This record gives sequence, structure tokens and C-alpha cells, in this order.
Amino acid sequence: MIVVDEYLAARVVGGDWPEALPDDELALQASRHWRLLQALHGGRGGQLSRILGQLSDAGRDGIRHPHPEVLQVLDPRPLLDEAAILAARYGGTGLLIAESLAAGFAYGRQLWFGTEDNVGHLLARAAGELGIAVHVANT
Amino acid sequence: MHGVDLPEGRMVGMSIGEELLAERRRRRRAGDPRLSESDRELLRRLTTGDLVGEFQAGLDAVSDADPLLGGGDNDD
Repeated sequence: MIVVDEYLAARVVGGDWPEALPDDELALQASRHWRLLQALHGGRGGQLSRILGQLSDAGRDGIRHPHPEVLQVLDPRPLLDEAAILAARYGGTGLLIAESLAAGFAYGRQLWFGTEDNVGHLLARAAGELGIAVHVANT
Repeated sequence: MHGVDLPEGRMVGMSIGEELLAERRRRRRAGDPRLSESDRELLRRLTTGDLVGEFQAGLDAVSDADPLLGGGDNDD
């Protein structure tokens, strides 16, 4: 199981599998799914919400309820305690980064992103200290 | 055992388990079958095309608006 970010999740849902991404089952952590859903439902996504509004109902369903053979959404409960420990260790870390680190730690000590811009300095630094490999697959 | 044709015309035996794994791999890589071509094109533009900036800005906006999610002292 490989933990991916919103970019890779949206790419594989759309059938655009990056060359560099290993052939394995993929999972999206709940807080990253939440970010996609907030944008999809127009809560706080701004321009992105308007763009996602162009998706068909089936396309929206592909984001809301990913096809389990393509992408799974991780249950956040088993990760919460470790995420809280990491949030305390790295002050100022929100759930997004803390859960990313906990998920990366639990699933093969690796995290996969679709662009460097979605990694962030704090996550990159903490992942390095924790021995979690951060990969970017953008082709 | 079942056979799989290779370009050279040779055959390679595959067990039922291997065939099932290969079929799961094919379906996984094909994406969600419910999506239309226009849906796929929109997701492609958002993740690797001309709308990447809007995609990142939208994700960042969600985090920025929610301190529990984004935290109070980081660049994500």
C-alpha cells in the first residue's frame, strides 16, 4: 500500500498513472481527502471549486467515493495517536502534516506526491528526521 | 495454467492467481470506470496541465482556513 497526495489521487482516478509511481495499491489519507472534498463541495476552494463544478455527477462521485480498486481512503483512527505525538514533537503542525507523517511511517516509510509544491518544508524536514522517504512523481 | 501471447508468438504460462493480479493491476491503472473522457481531461489539466496553479491554490486555501488542518505555524 502506497500513500499518495491529492495530485496523485486525482491522476489515478482519472486513469493517468505516473511513470515513476510503483505498481501497488494506493491510499489517500483522510485529511487530504477532506481537502479535496472541501474544494469539491464549494466550501473553501474558491476558483478550484468552480473548476471542479464542471465534473459530471459520476466524476464527482469518483472524488467523493473513490473506486476501491483504484484508490482507498485511509481510516484516520489508527493513525491519530501517532499523529498527535508527531504534532507535539513538531510544534505548529496541523492534522494534514501530522497525519501524513503517521501514514508514511505506517505504510512502508514512504510518501508519494504529485508535485514538490505540495510537500512543504516542514513535512520534508520532519520526514527526513523520521526516515520517511518523500517521492515526487510528476511525469 | 493459462497462456499469454507474447509479441514474438511465444506463450508464457500464468497461474489463475497471476492472471487475477494482472487484471487487478490493469483495472487499477485504468482509473475509475465511472468517469467520462471530459472528467478525465479536467483532472489531467488540474494535476499536470494548465490548471495546476488553481489546484494548489484551492488545496492551500482549505488548509489556511482551518487551523486544525493546516496548523498555525507552517508553510502548508
